[in-house]
Amino acid sequence: MHKHSLLKSQKLAVLLMLALLMAIMPFGNQSVAIAQGPQSDGMVCTSGPNFNLTSHTGYVGTPDGNVVYMWGLSSGADPFQYPGPVLCVTEGDTVTVILHNTLNRDISLIFPGQENVLADGQPDGPVFSAGNLVSLAKAAPANGGSVTYSFVASRPGTFLYQSGTDPAIQVPMGLFGAIVVRPAMGPSFMYNRADTAFDPNREYISLLSEIDPILSQRMESGLPFNSRNYHPRYWMINGRGFPDTIAPNHASWLPGQPYGSLTLLEPWEATLNPLPAAIRYLSVGSIDYPFHPHGNNVRIVGRDGMPLEGAALENLAYDKYSIPVGPGQTWDSLFSWHDPEAYNSTANPVPVTFPNIFDMFFGPMFSGSPYLGEQGTIPVGTTSQNQCGEFYHIAHNHALYQITSWGVVMTGMATYTRIDPAGGCP
Amino acid sequence: MKKPTFSGRISRRDFLKLAGAGLLASGGVSLMNRLVSGFLLPESIALAQAAIPDKVFAGTDGWIYLPPLPTPSPFHPDDLSPDPALFTTYVFGFRDVTGQDETQILNQKMKAQHSAPMFWLQEGVEFKLQLRNLGLQMRPDLTDAHTVHFHGFKNAIPFFDGEPSSSVSVPMNRSFTYVYRPHDPGTYMFHCHVEDVEHVQMGMTGLVFVRPAQDGNTGLYPSGKFVFNDGDGSTGFDREFGMHLSEMWVDSHWADSHIQLPEWSDYKPDFSMINGRVYPDTIAPNGQGYDANGDLIAPAGHPRLQYQPISSLVECNAGERVLLRFTNLGFMQASMTLDGIQLHVVGKDATFLRGNDGTDISYLTNTITIGAGESFDAIFTAPPHSGGVGPDTYLLYNRNFVRSHSVGGFGDGKQMTEVRVHPSGTLPAQTEPNT
Repeated sequence: MHKHSLLKSQKLAVLLMLALLMAIMPFGNQSVAIAQGPQSDGMVCTSGPNFNLTSHTGYVGTPDGNVVYMWGLSSGADPFQYPGPVLCVTEGDTVTVILHNTLNRDISLIFPGQENVLADGQPDGPVFSAGNLVSLAKAAPANGGSVTYSFVASRPGTFLYQSGTDPAIQVPMGLFGAIVVRPAMGPSFMYNRADTAFDPNREYISLLSEIDPILSQRMESGLPFNSRNYHPRYWMINGRGFPDTIAPNHASWLPGQPYGSLTLLEPWEATLNPLPAAIRYLSVGSIDYPFHPHGNNVRIVGRDGMPLEGAALENLAYDKYSIPVGPGQTWDSLFSWHDPEAYNSTANPVPVTFPNIFDMFFGPMFSGSPYLGEQGTIPVGTTSQNQCGEFYHIAHNHALYQITSWGVVMTGMATYTRIDPAGGCP
Repeated sequence: MKKPTFSGRISRRDFLKLAGAGLLASGGVSLMNRLVSGFLLPESIALAQAAIPDKVFAGTDGWIYLPPLPTPSPFHPDDLSPDPALFTTYVFGFRDVTGQDETQILNQKMKAQHSAPMFWLQEGVEFKLQLRNLGLQMRPDLTDAHTVHFHGFKNAIPFFDGEPSSSVSVPMNRSFTYVYRPHDPGTYMFHCHVEDVEHVQMGMTGLVFVRPAQDGNTGLYPSGKFVFNDGDGSTGFDREFGMHLSEMWVDSHWADSHIQLPEWSDYKPDFSMINGRVYPDTIAPNGQGYDANGDLIAPAGHPRLQYQPISSLVECNAGERVLLRFTNLGFMQASMTLDGIQLHVVGKDATFLRGNDGTDISYLTNTITIGAGESFDAIFTAPPHSGGVGPDTYLLYNRNFVRSHSVGGFGDGKQMTEVRVHPSGTLPAQTEPNT
């Protein structure tokens, strides 16, 4: 039923305009981009291998108009952000992360999937006090403490970093981020396999998370929280809920949520556009998120930083239309859109009568035409954000109650794929 | 000509009346163009082509039966039910009205079924599915459109994808024809994508699959029926059964019939179903088609299941290969276990489980964990018959028993069905899925 539709449609309209503007801007060189750069779409790398991460408190905007108190990790002198920066390194790098803690409680970081992590030069691991486990890793003490972690990024792939101290509270409060280890074969491969090549101008990440606003309220008020009462109400991609997800990176009105997740494609073409996009899925949630990109299957080429290959290097990658991204998992995928029917209005129309426009409801992203790169007549009074006949396909969590935001439907863990005609919009 | 009563454009039914069957084969296309030219925008005239759908679905609301909950609930059974002895739960759903006349089709308002009719396509053969939106009789305030989203269809164009923001949706009393050219065999699902959390939970979901081009090759497997183009008969089967999983959170269904809004983040299903039913209704027979009014005829002896016509009872002969096509459009993971028989998982998400270089990545298991929006193709070989009286019975169920509830004995109300293995040669060859 159509409730809250005014707020939703107004916000969507603004965001779509920005998405359209953004799409005609040139792509940045994403493989070496630095944080806070001008890159409007795609994964924003913070380049290493030496990082300074500082914890901050801040506020996150949610699609229902709420503003929620959170914690976050930021690079260098950057202000609060949610989630933390994407730490990009190369296989074989010795990675150093200096954690500076401004919160009023101890925090730490764990690096799932990395071996032989050192904390202040000593082997890191669980911390016990008087026989009790107090942290999964050596902590940076409250109110200004710091700790230096280091490890050798021995394997390419996609990984998480997250708080290892009181993680049932600190992870849902925002102390997490992604690590991308690029293979020795080069930054346009996901692994050291030629069949994991992707278009370096189309590299995306979808870090999935959830927020319990009552937990946030308790933390902001300095009150304890019983994790038995944990009940997420918001579900996010890269720290944003739809429609904010399709806004550009570093959108000015989302100061603490710098990362968008709109995927930009053009139709696959054997010589001009042969390489797929890369999409790295990660989750810090509490249950599996069954993530479903419309339009085409993704090709799963890696899981948890392990390429899908056999003992004799067989290619065990497979295609999937629903990606069950479990807590703490990472899924590396390749994504493209093909045009097998090549429908067009002149030589190859769709084999069905195009209905009278008043016999259909037009979605705001629909071009008015079935054909890529063509626009049709839009009924008077219908909002259209379509720029040049480009296609849009939604990509969303299929536990559909998680594409709501505490009562507002069609928001939350959803984003879009934009498919431009070959060469882009004129 | 008669002014179409339900649509600004000409309908298939009007077209049939006007054109006559003889014109369909010869002059149908040009006549169609001439007839509809007054309705279409100028730029569309050149593109207009006759669209005779292979299948016609109606989208509407209705009522189904679910058993009593163990503890009284103000939401179940729904106090607005037109007949509380028969129906308990308000739903939205699809109906297959292919071949019905105009009067019959319009009669089907508030006669939705759950789960939706199962249907299938043939690889490489174009398929047209027309959707008609009959409206929601219980909700005169609600003007929701409907769509069909063919979940998992590769390389879809938005026009035929059914996601309303990037495409078109079908308003009440209108129709729209989706065209599919399936290239990839396997098991898929479909659902309405309008107000998706609501319309999917309300019941507008079903299973669809694509048969492979290899079908008919009796050299690879005697039945000539396969899941994929395996090239070696490894996915050949003798019988097939669709197992479409869904859930019902009765609070949200009650809210919809009472013009209320649920808080979706409180989602907690009361019932988890197979093909729209819970055990032991799952083993009741299939429905019996439709009557003169176009209404569904209930399964024999089960008047409550009039609008839940799809049986999940698996019957087979010892030694046969049986394909189970699992799809899940609930919102929770289901862990489907078949006690006593190994399942060979050969496909997921309409993908043959061979790596991209052909390496076999199929596997054996007895439990399949199926997330929302995932599909699994699993084949088992029916074990030898024990020699006792009647068929041997095995249980297929979601081992997460806390996800579905009813009064009665253990098993009642669960997401469960039975596999019955008869002595070799007892049952004739299967002619339709789920029979």
